[in-house]
Amino acid sequence: MATLTIQNVKKSYGAVDVLKGIDLELENGEFLVLLGPSGCGKSTLLNMIAGLDTITDGEILINNKVVNDVHPKDRDIAMVFQSYALYPNMTVERNIGFGLEMRKVTKEDRERRVDEAARMLQIDHLRDRKPAQLSGGQRQRVAMGRALVRKPEIFLFDEPLSNLDAKLRVEMRTEIKKLHQRLGTTMVYVTHDQIEAMTLASRIAILREGEIQQFASPQEVYERPANMYVAGFVGSPAMNFIPATVVSENDRLGVSIERTARGERSSVFLALPDDLQSIGEWIGREVILGIRPETLTHRSDAEMTQNKRLQPFDCQVEVLEPTGADTLTYIELGGREVIARVNPYNTSNPGETMAFMVDMGKASLFDPKSEMRI
Amino acid sequence: MADIASLPGGNSPWRSAGRFGLYFLLISFGAYYILPLIVVLSTSFKDLDEIRNGTLLSLPAEINLESWRYAWSEACIGVSCTGLKPYFWNSVMMTIPAVLISTVLGALTGYALTKFKFRGANMVFAMILFGCFIPFQVVLLPMAQSLGFLGLANTVPGLVLVHIVYGLPFTVLFFRNYYVSIPDDLIKAATIDGAGFFTIFWRILLPLSPPIIVVTIIWQFTQIWNDFLFGASFTTGGGQPVTVALNNLVNTTTGVKRYNVDMAAALITAAPTLAVYVLAGRYFVRGLTAGSVKG
Repeated sequence: MATLTIQNVKKSYGAVDVLKGIDLELENGEFLVLLGPSGCGKSTLLNMIAGLDTITDGEILINNKVVNDVHPKDRDIAMVFQSYALYPNMTVERNIGFGLEMRKVTKEDRERRVDEAARMLQIDHLRDRKPAQLSGGQRQRVAMGRALVRKPEIFLFDEPLSNLDAKLRVEMRTEIKKLHQRLGTTMVYVTHDQIEAMTLASRIAILREGEIQQFASPQEVYERPANMYVAGFVGSPAMNFIPATVVSENDRLGVSIERTARGERSSVFLALPDDLQSIGEWIGREVILGIRPETLTHRSDAEMTQNKRLQPFDCQVEVLEPTGADTLTYIELGGREVIARVNPYNTSNPGETMAFMVDMGKASLFDPKSEMRI
Repeated sequence: MADIASLPGGNSPWRSAGRFGLYFLLISFGAYYILPLIVVLSTSFKDLDEIRNGTLLSLPAEINLESWRYAWSEACIGVSCTGLKPYFWNSVMMTIPAVLISTVLGALTGYALTKFKFRGANMVFAMILFGCFIPFQVVLLPMAQSLGFLGLANTVPGLVLVHIVYGLPFTVLFFRNYYVSIPDDLIKAATIDGAGFFTIFWRILLPLSPPIIVVTIIWQFTQIWNDFLFGASFTTGGGQPVTVALNNLVNTTTGVKRYNVDMAAALITAAPTLAVYVLAGRYFVRGLTAGSVKG
């Protein structure tokens, strides 16, 4: 178990700045997910933590000790690669034990620990096979076994599930989560899959072009995204962004949005919740209203009397996409396509006008220029 | 994949005629290619009377190994009548170390160029590659001077050195292109596991290399064994490789021209490369087509 501190870490290749000053601090036993699209620098950062890449500027500390100039083998980390990187010429047993063999662990000790790891990952019946004789999921387990057997201070995962098919990916995701709960070891996990990030992380760091956009718990990232980039990246279907104007009606601040209902174009007023009543300086100005599809649904009067933050409006339905559990209902608000999640038994046909309600308590407001949260 | 030969509607008379034409052509080409070897082989088993009286294509009346024995141990090469034997061993002593050393150095260089990339690694590789395109003749004079300076002129070790130097660009090319397809993650994983430069090479890369090792060995063996120019330029007399000795054997005539001995000598000279190809040829094809390492 270990703490990991990353202080103002930078990486440049010639004139290209890949990482522009990263600051992260991890407690003992945390599960950090580095989330971002390809090319955002997340794998570079992981390689730098592993010591496989040099640090241009800044410091990386493991257990409060600067490791900038420590060789990867002496950092007490283990890494699981996207390609698994199993040694093709060695059996599963040799693969798992290779790290111990290099560290001159005695044969008996090695066998015992390989045994333990193989049993934990349910691959002890595969010990004498070569990697080529294993399925994708089994290779993944062996790769994890190889990391596990060394009992490192920190586990590093580099997109470990991207080469698996959808079903296996979900299974292995749960395995990794279980493993973390069982071992309680600090883990750093790189992915571009926001669902993996949400399900696994104790904290997520979202990277974009070498900069951290937000570093917070999954729930915080989901509910209070720091900017429009984070809001759009996390969640599926993605958050709706609706151009709106801040107005005051009956002494309450709200947003005014253009929409079509019963064949006519008009504005609708949606009151803002109490914690957003202090943005008086925005009156008359344009903002972007961010609404998650599941907070926008068919109107239920019973719920509305209970929760004052639910705001009603009518709008014409354009397209329906049934998914089984919910029907994604496409409507147009403020000139943008917007998705609402509606119970399949409460949908209206395309072209009809339907009664919606939106939970403004879960809405986010963004500055259209800086794209930052207001 | 569909079996093209058994698709429905594929059995018209035209198709059969086409097949016949195709096989006729292929067999003709095959015969044309194999004929010289047959003539050489059959002539080597004939005695001189049979050669004089028979035709070129007639088969020997009996298998007569006298000319082979003569070529191996009695034929005159220049003024010394020792047969090919000492020169054959010269070639063996030259080829085996040259092949092994150039292969090992090529593997190490290819490994360093792909897996321990340093600034300018590609530039270094391009310059090494340039060596593949330098004609033998260009390096003759500087090489002769170098050998003289090193005191290796007219010796087998001198030829070994020449062939190692000249073979390196090819062996580096082979290994570099093979190793470039081996995922870098393997090296990273091994580094984290605590293996160093030579351990990774020995324990991980080399066990993956047999296909390319076979390709390189066949290539180098054929090149070095068959070399004539370096052998003829840098050695005289007793230090000559078998290719040069063969030339001198054929050109040394004492009275009547013994075609059967010439043919037997040519076959003795060619035998090792043929043997290497027959024994390892299937690995050669496999190695040339082996791209990425799965797993």
